[in-house]
Amino acid sequence: MPEASTPPKRLRPVTRTNAGLSRREFFERAAIASVGVPSLGALLQACSRSSRSSPTPHASLTLAAPDHPVSWPISARNEPIADGLTPERNATLKLYNYADYIAPAAIKSFEKKYAKYGVKVSVSTFNDADEALTKVRSASAPYDIYFPSYDQISKLVSGNLIRPLNHSYITNIANVWAAFANPWYDGKWRYTVPYTVYTTGIGWRTDRVKTNIANLPNPYDTLWDPKYRGQTGVIDDWHTTMAMTLLRKGITDVNTDKPADLNVISKQLSDLSKTTSPKVTVTMYNDLPAGQLGQTQMWSGDIVNAVSYLPKGTSPKVLRYWFPSDGKGLVDNDLMVVLRGGKNPVLSHLFLQHMLDTKVSLSNFSFIGYQPPQRAINPDSLVSQGYLPSNLAAAVVKEEYFSVGYRLLELSPANDAAWHKIWLAYKAGS
Amino acid sequence: MTRSPLAWWRDPWRRPKVLIGVTAAYLVWSLLPVLIAVLFSFNNGKSRTSWQGFSMRWYWGDQTRSVWHDASLHAALVQTLKLGLITTAITVPLGVAFAIGMDRWRGRLPETANVVMLLSFVIPETLLAVALLFVITTIAVPFSLGTTAQVIGLVTFQLSYPAVLVRARLATIGRQYEEAAMDLGASPIGAVRRIILPMLMPAIFASTVLVFADVIDDFVLVRYLSGDSSTETTSVKIYNTARAAPTPALNALATLMLAAALLAVVIGFAAYRLLTRSDTASADRGIGAFAGEV
Amino acid sequence: MAQDLAGIQGRQLTPDPAHSAQGRRARPGLWSLLAFPGIAWLCLFFLAPLYVVLAIVFGSVDPIYRTPVPVWNPLHWNASQFTYVTDRIFGSNAIFGPALLRTAAYVAVASLVCITIAFPVAYYVARLAGRRRGMLLALLIAPFWISYMMRMLAWVNLLADDGLVNKALSLDGLFSVHTEWLSGKATVVVLGLVYGYVPYMILPLYAGLDRLPQSALEAARDLGANRVSAFVRVVLPMCRTTIVASALLTCLPMLGDYYTNDLLSGSPRTAMVGNLINETVLTPGETGSAGAFVMIVLVVSLVPMLYYVRSTRKNELVAT
Repeated sequence: MPEASTPPKRLRPVTRTNAGLSRREFFERAAIASVGVPSLGALLQACSRSSRSSPTPHASLTLAAPDHPVSWPISARNEPIADGLTPERNATLKLYNYADYIAPAAIKSFEKKYAKYGVKVSVSTFNDADEALTKVRSASAPYDIYFPSYDQISKLVSGNLIRPLNHSYITNIANVWAAFANPWYDGKWRYTVPYTVYTTGIGWRTDRVKTNIANLPNPYDTLWDPKYRGQTGVIDDWHTTMAMTLLRKGITDVNTDKPADLNVISKQLSDLSKTTSPKVTVTMYNDLPAGQLGQTQMWSGDIVNAVSYLPKGTSPKVLRYWFPSDGKGLVDNDLMVVLRGGKNPVLSHLFLQHMLDTKVSLSNFSFIGYQPPQRAINPDSLVSQGYLPSNLAAAVVKEEYFSVGYRLLELSPANDAAWHKIWLAYKAGS
Repeated sequence: MTRSPLAWWRDPWRRPKVLIGVTAAYLVWSLLPVLIAVLFSFNNGKSRTSWQGFSMRWYWGDQTRSVWHDASLHAALVQTLKLGLITTAITVPLGVAFAIGMDRWRGRLPETANVVMLLSFVIPETLLAVALLFVITTIAVPFSLGTTAQVIGLVTFQLSYPAVLVRARLATIGRQYEEAAMDLGASPIGAVRRIILPMLMPAIFASTVLVFADVIDDFVLVRYLSGDSSTETTSVKIYNTARAAPTPALNALATLMLAAALLAVVIGFAAYRLLTRSDTASADRGIGAFAGEV
Repeated sequence: MAQDLAGIQGRQLTPDPAHSAQGRRARPGLWSLLAFPGIAWLCLFFLAPLYVVLAIVFGSVDPIYRTPVPVWNPLHWNASQFTYVTDRIFGSNAIFGPALLRTAAYVAVASLVCITIAFPVAYYVARLAGRRRGMLLALLIAPFWISYMMRMLAWVNLLADDGLVNKALSLDGLFSVHTEWLSGKATVVVLGLVYGYVPYMILPLYAGLDRLPQSALEAARDLGANRVSAFVRVVLPMCRTTIVASALLTCLPMLGDYYTNDLLSGSPRTAMVGNLINETVLTPGETGSAGAFVMIVLVVSLVPMLYYVRSTRKNELVAT
């Protein structure tokens, strides 16, 4: 019989409130929690995922520097692949790279070359190097080829994240500058091949910035000039931008761990915020030609690339680039490495061979704007050959720069943490 | 009949011109930018800001960068639809069962569960995404970043939608039909299956369509839990490319997604009208009943 | 006749306690079984991950790679990563304080603007639109079907240096307007938030305003209240809960937003807490800080969240 006398349950006033726990109920719940949580903890501990890389027994990283070259050992657990293997069939080669940092034509020509193996190439992108390294370290990174800079090499090698290379597949190494056959960061190129070389300078548009930045006594000062508030940019890479603030102040050790120098960086960054409040991005190759920026810290490849992003009706002559003519600025090169997590080691080697081919790297150059360290390229004739306009001649990367320039090296974990703290404070807009 | 402005102002039942104006202005402000973006997807040139003529270049014309020819844009479209379908297929039954069970079950546990479910409704998505990212990277769960992780995150985030909609509808329906059925001899589960579920169809359809439309637009969860580029959806693709060097192909991609969502809603609404032809309770509420049971 | 019917069906009409509706309904087994998968899912994928966040925030960091090492047992928890963040919110070393404050300010302003836009629109459509209601509702729901990213992208195009906004402002060449809309302007970010989230406010407001009894309003007018007075003294109090619930439904998700800021402004000067989380979560050594920010946002939004939950449950009780 339906309840006629008692009111339907729904309309009875709610007697239990969140505050109305009796003592007994409270102790019951506390008891459950105190038993439940540690056992949950033990359960989770048992299920803990060990990351693919296991840290070596050494408690510190070996850091490479030009005056302190390093040769990485090849461990028995991580041997190079054998000679003369056939490529994997019907595979998807996965590249992990910055956006717009490899030419679609280069990829398509590789796919065509090995079409009989049914190979496809896919490119996944990252926004910054930290995020990339974290993803690569996590066990779920299925990428085959990664494009880092040498400031991650020690972590990559000692973390067992990359494969040593079998040189018999990569004969095109002869095409690149001799120094790369035995670079200071990777003796006898056991693990890496070079990808591009670049400098970090300042790019601007003459229709927005009337002065010639190259003629200023300290060109870096222009990025702090309040006249250009709202149209300035800096690169969204902690080491690059922070090193630039050191160079502005004449401090040439851009990998310093001195607290006084770190304070200089801190102060410079907060001044930057106050005076020009720049946009922090890696897409200046699009923003400068689009007019979002008038002047910006820039990689040399980006200013060359920017020419193709200019809207119709704007002449390429409006773009300019400055880098210290004596080469005493930031110079670096990017690498290609084969990841252990990748499923296609043979194809990866073949891809590296493909990218070091002179014709392919030149066509890559004309798309991405970054110069490959190819012997066949005479830097002095790049302008006359039409790879870049004459007003951007300063963006050419010369081999001599590498003997006097300043490089962004890998930092020790403690120093790395200190630098990152300052960068986070800057990015938090304080 | 013309009136003086004062008479118009004093008329208590006048047409609310101010409100109409505000609503019209809002609709224009809300939809015009999108219409412009759709328009530029048919742009002949590479620019997204200056009109250079009409063409279908970015849909299938351009050999390398149109949606038809660019494999990465394809992959994004496919992944989006895949996520939408799988998530909806899991969320709706789970949510409906949850709502029905919770509505009838009394006690502490269901009340707590109800609170947790409502909390999952309002939690900022970033928090859930980060929490799940931590789970996947630190615990040896049988899946990794990619489609499975994305589906799990999306289901968790969307579960409350069908639960809330169905519970509201259950409250409106009331108990009498079920009780009558049970008095006539039906078992509880039979009463639910044959009486309640058909009556819940509008709410179930509404939640299916809303969950689908919400999932194909989702950004935060999908981005954090994505693996490589084959698990990127259109939203993530738009975000990644918008900050770099976008072409109108992006606009074309977004227009296609809009068309897909529109199609889903139209189909859902038509199906709803078909099913509730004879349902007097919602007969004159139209779209309101379809979507407004929040 | 019921007796005959019952006889035909072979059933007895008098209630049999074992099979009475009340007896059958009293078994919670069926209902708990139905609800169980949902509850299990929420526990596994909603509550447990929150515990993992705690384990990471109060865990340690690998010394070489500085990846987070979660510590599962609460007795071994180490609060240094958490206090690193909390120490820098107030005081002399307040590097995170500005971002948190800024987030609160942007969300508050955006919510207010949303309410001032959404309420008139919802009120009109719910109560005064008449025959056009269905079409207007469809247009109001349309933004839900359009990807949030696409709507923001539309604005990025419009606000670009050579975009339509500048073109319109310069009256197609009369003036020379080159405002850098996309370079770190707080107003642009707030308007972006408003544009993105106002549809989320309109629908619940519409649903709530729809339920208001017209008779109460008419009675107030009949009793002599003028338009303003009737609105303030009759309509507003009745829909107070709806307004608050809609506002919460809109401003709570805003707290985690980072992509609006990323797309509409590249500058750290408009960084919100979502940007902080995004910046730190994948950076070696800073994942614990990301977890700490997540916890802070969760705690700060917990009170409004619980209020929303309580008000919704009260509405459920009242609506029947």
